[in-house]
Amino acid sequence: MADTVTFRLNDKNVTVPKGWTVMQAAKQEKVDIPHFCWHPGLSVAGVCRFCMVHVQGARKLEIACNLQATEGMVVRTDTPEVKEAHKWGLEFHLINHPLDCPVCDQAGECGLQDFYMEVGKYPSQMTRPKVLKPKAVDLGPRLILDTERCILCSRCVRFEEEVTKTNALGIFDRGDRAIIGTYGEEKIAHNYQENLVDICPVGAFTSKKFRFKQRVWFLQEKSTICPGCSTGCKIQVHARTDRRTYYRVKPQTDEAVNGFWMCDKGRDTITHLNRESRLPQAQMMIEGKKQTVPVPQALNSLQRAIAAAGAQHTALLVSAHYTVEEYQAFFDYFCTQLGVKTIYQWRGDKEDRDAFDGILWRGDENPNTAGLLASLSQIQGRKVEARNELVACVAQDPKVLIALCPEVPFTSTWFQGDLAKLEGISHVSLWTCRYEATEAAGITSWIPMKGFAEKTGHFLNYQGAKRELEEAFPSAAASALSVVEAVQQLALPQPSVTL
Amino acid sequence: MEFPKILTRFENIPNSRALATYEKHGGYEAARKVLGQKPEEVIALVKDSGLRGRGGAGFPTGLKWSFVPKSADTVYLLCNNDEGEPGTFKDRYILELSPHMLIEGMIIAAHAIGAKKAYIYTRCEFYDEIRWMNEAIEEAYKAGYLGANLLGTKLHIDLDHYIGAGAYICGEETGLISSLEGKKGQPKLKPPFPAVSGYLGKPTIVNNTETLAAVPWIITHGAAAYKAMGTEKSPGTKLFCVSGPVKKPGVFERPLGYPLKKLIFEDAGGMIDGKQLKAVIPGGASAPVLLPAEIETLTLDYEAIAAAGSMLGSGAVMVIPHDQPMMELLRILVNFFHHESCGQCTPCREGTGWLANIVQGVEEKTALPEDIEKLYQIALHMEGRTICALSDAAAMPTKAITKKFADELKQTIYANSRLGG
Amino acid sequence: MDTFAPDLQEKIQSELTRYETPRSAILPVLHLIQDYYEWIQPDHVAWLERDFGLSRVHVQEVATFYSMYRLEPCKPFRILFCDNLVCAMMGAEKVMDKIRDHIGSFPEGKCPFSLQGVPCLGVCDGAPAMLVNKDRHLKVNRDNVDAILASYKV
Repeated sequence: MADTVTFRLNDKNVTVPKGWTVMQAAKQEKVDIPHFCWHPGLSVAGVCRFCMVHVQGARKLEIACNLQATEGMVVRTDTPEVKEAHKWGLEFHLINHPLDCPVCDQAGECGLQDFYMEVGKYPSQMTRPKVLKPKAVDLGPRLILDTERCILCSRCVRFEEEVTKTNALGIFDRGDRAIIGTYGEEKIAHNYQENLVDICPVGAFTSKKFRFKQRVWFLQEKSTICPGCSTGCKIQVHARTDRRTYYRVKPQTDEAVNGFWMCDKGRDTITHLNRESRLPQAQMMIEGKKQTVPVPQALNSLQRAIAAAGAQHTALLVSAHYTVEEYQAFFDYFCTQLGVKTIYQWRGDKEDRDAFDGILWRGDENPNTAGLLASLSQIQGRKVEARNELVACVAQDPKVLIALCPEVPFTSTWFQGDLAKLEGISHVSLWTCRYEATEAAGITSWIPMKGFAEKTGHFLNYQGAKRELEEAFPSAAASALSVVEAVQQLALPQPSVTL
Repeated sequence: MEFPKILTRFENIPNSRALATYEKHGGYEAARKVLGQKPEEVIALVKDSGLRGRGGAGFPTGLKWSFVPKSADTVYLLCNNDEGEPGTFKDRYILELSPHMLIEGMIIAAHAIGAKKAYIYTRCEFYDEIRWMNEAIEEAYKAGYLGANLLGTKLHIDLDHYIGAGAYICGEETGLISSLEGKKGQPKLKPPFPAVSGYLGKPTIVNNTETLAAVPWIITHGAAAYKAMGTEKSPGTKLFCVSGPVKKPGVFERPLGYPLKKLIFEDAGGMIDGKQLKAVIPGGASAPVLLPAEIETLTLDYEAIAAAGSMLGSGAVMVIPHDQPMMELLRILVNFFHHESCGQCTPCREGTGWLANIVQGVEEKTALPEDIEKLYQIALHMEGRTICALSDAAAMPTKAITKKFADELKQTIYANSRLGG
Repeated sequence: MDTFAPDLQEKIQSELTRYETPRSAILPVLHLIQDYYEWIQPDHVAWLERDFGLSRVHVQEVATFYSMYRLEPCKPFRILFCDNLVCAMMGAEKVMDKIRDHIGSFPEGKCPFSLQGVPCLGVCDGAPAMLVNKDRHLKVNRDNVDAILASYKV
């Protein structure tokens, strides 16, 4: 028995695995079939009745999402009958929809809007009062629900049933009185709330954090990897470069790692990237006072300190928040070229590395533990286990310490406490993206680093899978460097600057 | 004139619901006969009889039974006793006359499809009938017609009674299954069909009460005897419910193919108070209305009524008198379907609401004559677009009324408008 | 009281094991609760989850979907009057007006009746038809309705 079927989709013969639906096939072939309730990550509901296609020999139009492709089937997505069905299908969706696009966050990425230009019914014949339903319902720490905008596609209900398995949402009442909601006043509390915003094809679910912040068409998108934990979800960061402001994070489809989803913690990994949280420029303690200096000056002073102390009295303290490329450049320079041999991992003492919530989030909240360990193993010539080595590092009594600070503040709450333990080392150079909580006695210099969304490279996730940070935004902190860039500057011939 | 009595054979028999009465008149003999036979033989016999589903769709019963996969280990039989189609009260009549006839039909059907568990799903408003049915089930268990080793065989068939809670949509077979699963009565996507994946994902056959109740007679008298009645494509007898302003409203068992006018004007005694016939709804609220001229020679069988542009449906013949305003009829219809739409499919959820909303405009004196055409257009595009037939059920009568009574409806709007009124 | 009465609990428990899945028992269990307490209260739904493991979202979906479940306090006698096609043709609206008058004749807050129009009750040969709680009344008209209602006393 063949495990593929070939059928005709519009004017093309299409071969897909047996069992695939026409919708799946169309997706693969980039044939657009408008739909609302179908979602590749959820079960088929078949309720929006929008993905109508014409099947030769069928009595009536069929929905592509529940239509299994069979050998020799002849499907068209563009007949007049299909177009008429779309027109009316959309009209049925819109008659009770508030059409409040000017104040709706979904504007610009709304199925209703998108399809209207293509298949809408001009002019609408709906002249009667609309059904009124609750608006701006607080459904959780991150969620607002407008039940009037809701088209009852049930994606959110299926998500709560099939993905989080919390059954937190239901559709109550029936007919056009039906309303999505939780039981009573209950709030959704899990760590995957904003997926509901993502999968909502209209503006019914909106994100409390993003609500009324920005029109989506002003946002630029870059594809990267979430630095929130060792799962390494493929994400897209949305920002306005003209304002140097990061607005939101969306998951990108990656069947092997995160499917269609990401957790809410991951959505917060951009907060520290915005200008107000950033170390804007290099800083140094000069005669007991913290002063802003050009980056080369801070790096020169570090170089001189290393030269004075010698490689044997220099130590590296490295967190697992940097890319493999950065580790390689870092170790190449300090270890291979300068001969530094004292290298320590820097991570939380209390982390529960094996914790897993059954969906995506992992207790190792460092995005590149595997990458760091692999790089360290290469340098040290032996297998390195993950552990916090700060105490051992301090016990070595180094004279110069270069510390690659953890980037994401809420996954490294131990950071500030650890800084206090560095007092007594004569030159501590903190390489850090963040500004807050980097103050501690004994720090000599602060080198501004780029955040994860501002550099390319890769992490290795908990499975050791390569997770590519594909695209980079210009840094919100003008003088910030990646570790690679910082090391390149260090490796340059010494400028003849007199300090 | 005498008519064959199959489903109504316990009419005028005292204490007809009692097991003893049923047994005295040959009750459970058909089951006894069948249990020794192979399921395939039973299915073949029912196929031969030409029995078609009496719930409305008229699907051949034997064929439906044969869809259960042979390899299935757990199969369910469900009796659709949710009788909710406005104008229909025939299944209620079967329970009133002889609940054991239904039980026996279910034993036979369960054996034929290999079901060990069967359910009767009854609408909750039938309080008396529910009690009678429960009593009959209890009697049948005590007498060894149900449960383990029934009738001395190795068979085990359990029958339970499940009570609905007020939702027309549960009369749709997959809506009924959802309801039995303890969910909202929302119809399920097809495919898969219930015969392959129904109640709890197991093969399930859903038959109407009237269909199942006809089975014992067919077993006892043979397929040929059943086929000898009715028409070639619609064999057997059917219960017709005549209601409205007629002298003798009620349930009449007649062979399929029986003349509609005869049913109304002879059997049901014609109209009361000198009223004239304005229209007839021949098969329940979802059947398109027919004009007197359209029923002159019309016979009550699936084919003839379909050819006349309506449907036999549940066999609920509603007689509409000359003084009945059609706008009022339309209002009741669209409000009913609006009230009963389960809400999952957009065209039905929004369409039924829209229809009701527009008709509401007549009352509010804001409707315009062109709204009649709008109603027709909306109905047209609600048809054939949804998971189940409720959307069609709302659309078909709306289309018929707005087409056939367009002038009257427009006049009503005008008279009711600020211009006219 | 922070849970169901003991005798009701027993009945609920037996419904939960009566069907193939506990979820199948949701409709029957809600009927039991309604018969016991007259209406289904928010607490009841919460208790069904806490004490019997039925998802309250699932229960609430069912309770709100089906029109015969009462989710608000109700009068002792609930008149469900069929206002569908046949009963309407046979004068249901006029009888309902008469019932409204009857209801209006009680001093404020003293009326034991509530009136609600419902879809077809499946007794069109006896139109107009109504239910008063679980009693069915057929061929109800303006002349007999007062007497029927008079037979219901608190």
